[in-house]
Amino acid sequence: MVNRRDFLKGIAGGAGAAVAGFALGSLTDTIEKAEGRSFEEIKTMVETPPSEAYLLVDREKCAGCRSCMLACSLAHEGKENLSLSRIQVFEDPLAGFPDDLVQEQCRQCQYPECVAACPTGALSVDEVNGNVRLVDEEKCIGCQRCIEACDQINNPARAAWNHEDEYSLKCDLCIDTPHWEENGGPDGKQACVEICPVNAIKTTDQIPVQIGQKGYKVNLRGKNWEKLGFPSE
Amino acid sequence: MKGHMGKILRLDLTNLNTKEINTSEYEEFVGGHGLGSAIFFDAVKDKTISAFHPDNVITMMTSPLCGTLAPATGRIELNGISPQPYPTEWYSRSNFGGRFSAMLKYAGYDGIVIEGKADKPTWINIVNEDVEFKDAESLWGLDAWETQEEIWTDVSGNSTSVDEREWYQTERGRDEGRTTQKPAVATIGAAGENKTRSGAIIHDAGNGAGNAAFGSVWGSKNLKAISVLGTKSVEVANPSALLKSREWAEDNYNNQESDPKPNWGSGVGAFGGVPGAEGFGNIAEEQVRPQGCVSCHRCTRKRTESGHGNESGCVDFLFYDVHDEQKHGGPTKETAKAGDLSQRYGINVYFLEEGINYLKHLHERGILGEGKEIEASLPWDELGNASFAKELIYKVSNKEGIGEDLAMGLPRAAKKWGRLEQDLNSGLLGLQYWGYPQHYDARTEVEWGYGSILGERDINEHDFNWVVYWQVSLAKLFGRNPPVKAEKLAKIIKDKTIPYNAVPNYSNEGIYSKNMAKLVAWHRHYTRFWKQSLQYCDWAYADFLNPYGPETRGITPEGETRFFNAVTGKDISFKEGMEIGRKIWNLDRSIWALQGRHRDQEEFAGYTYDVASWGPEISPHANYEVPYYMPVKEDGEWKYKNVASRSLDKEKFNEWKTKFYELEGWNTETGRPKRETLENLGLGKVADELEQKNKIE
Ligand code: SF4
Ligand code: SF4
Ligand code: SF4
Repeated sequence: MVNRRDFLKGIAGGAGAAVAGFALGSLTDTIEKAEGRSFEEIKTMVETPPSEAYLLVDREKCAGCRSCMLACSLAHEGKENLSLSRIQVFEDPLAGFPDDLVQEQCRQCQYPECVAACPTGALSVDEVNGNVRLVDEEKCIGCQRCIEACDQINNPARAAWNHEDEYSLKCDLCIDTPHWEENGGPDGKQACVEICPVNAIKTTDQIPVQIGQKGYKVNLRGKNWEKLGFPSE
Repeated sequence: MKGHMGKILRLDLTNLNTKEINTSEYEEFVGGHGLGSAIFFDAVKDKTISAFHPDNVITMMTSPLCGTLAPATGRIELNGISPQPYPTEWYSRSNFGGRFSAMLKYAGYDGIVIEGKADKPTWINIVNEDVEFKDAESLWGLDAWETQEEIWTDVSGNSTSVDEREWYQTERGRDEGRTTQKPAVATIGAAGENKTRSGAIIHDAGNGAGNAAFGSVWGSKNLKAISVLGTKSVEVANPSALLKSREWAEDNYNNQESDPKPNWGSGVGAFGGVPGAEGFGNIAEEQVRPQGCVSCHRCTRKRTESGHGNESGCVDFLFYDVHDEQKHGGPTKETAKAGDLSQRYGINVYFLEEGINYLKHLHERGILGEGKEIEASLPWDELGNASFAKELIYKVSNKEGIGEDLAMGLPRAAKKWGRLEQDLNSGLLGLQYWGYPQHYDARTEVEWGYGSILGERDINEHDFNWVVYWQVSLAKLFGRNPPVKAEKLAKIIKDKTIPYNAVPNYSNEGIYSKNMAKLVAWHRHYTRFWKQSLQYCDWAYADFLNPYGPETRGITPEGETRFFNAVTGKDISFKEGMEIGRKIWNLDRSIWALQGRHRDQEEFAGYTYDVASWGPEISPHANYEVPYYMPVKEDGEWKYKNVASRSLDKEKFNEWKTKFYELEGWNTETGRPKRETLENLGLGKVADELEQKNKIE
């Protein structure tokens, strides 16, 4: 069982300065998530320090070009494969705007189910690199529990399976990009952000509202976008 | 070569089996059109067969760049004998964008060769190496959008709604890979199924290969659709160089949201054009997004709130908006709905554009109508509403009533009505080259017309068109100064058209000069390799002038070369690419020679010589032409001048042809490639076949 004090301790200890961006609703959210778990599991989750950066996307701005996916796959894997991208763009070309498209990115969750589910510690919080939730490919045994866990809460899963090199992959905010010359990570650049031709992806250091989509799917359109004939509201 | 998947899939529809070609066998042709022509040359023994003959072959070829981050390389090239050109059904080309090309590579193939004829409606399901011929009895008769929805759910058993979609795992299990993507489906509608000469191949909402009627060839082969889904990787030789060059292109040549340049008319063309510029959507006051093909950096189309007009662009709307505006005083959703119909029925919009105008002229003159010389029942009161477009498209696609004649295409219909010659001479019927609607006018923007008549179709290549015509003419139309002076434009073009250094002089002398021959040769060779073989998109390349480029210079030729070398690991120069283009162009030229091409046939429709081009008002013919202000050099001075009200001098044009053939190393009597020319290009085998068929002197 988990009591209220443990929760608050976790939040206060972990969230630190970023707590301002942390929505009240998250507590209820967490209590819901707590059901059926062991104390240790919950403790790991609540004591997890928050990521120092988050990807935000604008589904009404995105043009569906998949350049972000190609950049993500290329920077990390050195090859082009939409299935190896850590950000996924879903499209229905026949549907009406804005229901025709959605980008799904990793949320660097405040309480990362993927980290909690990993039995080997391959998926952990990288405290050296801004607390990004990171897969150590060497340690990954391919059980895919992280993918299933993420799928449970964030359906569809933001962690994915690299079927060619056989390990789980998830967004690392571009910390580990052997095929890209830029410095990535929470303080650096992200390939998808740099490459997106319409600036429909950006990062923030504020913790997005964790419940629902609103915190992560934001409006990145402004006056100039409107001048091109597109809606900004 | 890196970027290649290594295999080309042969689909034998007659025997319902598959074979593979190693891409490396054809590596010298690199991709797209080059691969298509080389494979077609080997696969089709008798090049004089008709388009609907079962032995005709349709190739669909990607390039090493497709499915990579090389900007705007999301297209696939189609080749084969086309039922559309008149009087000869030339070996021709077309292409379409979207996701199909990338997805075919992810499935493991550089291309598809479609051979033979199935004895009943068939569709093909490709999921990585699993290729299945499937019964299409239940899909036959569905429109292009319905067909895709059926196949999407059939293949990946998943909701079509983006908010409900899941990762999909193929039957082979987790180590085969998973994808969130819908299968990419190319399909035909009624116009193709019923073998009109205007059937397009449609993919997603608004990608179409229309202007060669290959959809009708699919129909003749009983091929309804091809679906591809793949989870494989495209190997890239130098990933960091590719990422870096893409960033370089984004930073230095792509449009910048923070710095729009409306005065450039850069909405129209080339690398730095603004997102959504090609789409119609928001003109009809709908909320829209821009939309791009895989890897596109400029995302020039749109999707709309109502879904009407999704991904349609340019002539998908222009064929109808003039009628819509005449009826309603401004553009309405009727235009978008008419565009949707063209996608659903899979019908070539250039046919509709000129077709509606021609029928309207005949109707107004009392020649066509109920009880008239040409019997036709069409709801003329409804012209401008989508219902008129629907009636016409339905009739043509199903060969009903007047549609039976029109299904033969405009030149063949006019011939049947006994009107072809007279209407081509007067210009009432604006088919300027090979029975193709005048797209841009051979009398004014000569490189467009010359390239088309020396080739096989309306070239539909806007490389020069954006900068020598649109940018200038739009500026004049709206009372602005063109973005750069004529002299500077000429200098930039000369610098960039390596290795011929062509000068864009559209004066009355310039259009018959050797310089114009160099410009047209550059254009033919450039597009054959850099665009039609590598699949660099016509909406982004060539990029001569760019509002964001250093000193307003565009990304050509650095960009094309840089992305290609990063992906393939080659180190070719732009000039070497041009040589491959020249080789492919000569191969095509040889195929046309085998089909009976002779220089005497390379003549425009009569009106081109006998009637002055329209001006100064907006042309009553092509629905989009504005007066032609073009760069000219007169008395040693460069300037922009309205060259409308001009006709071509037939004799001078024929002298120009001779200059062009000389430049290309072709026989000036026949216009056919010489043995020496072909041998120098490594096409000795082609010369042998020409000799065998008495087509070489
Ligand atoms: S992979 Fe899933 S669970 Fe893990 S941090 Fe990302 S969104 Fe959260
Ligand atoms: S931030 Fe980097 S790792 Fe994350 S989705 Fe973007 S490109 Fe991929
Ligand atoms: S790169 Fe940008 S516009 Fe293109 S799919 Fe990704 S988010 Fe959308």
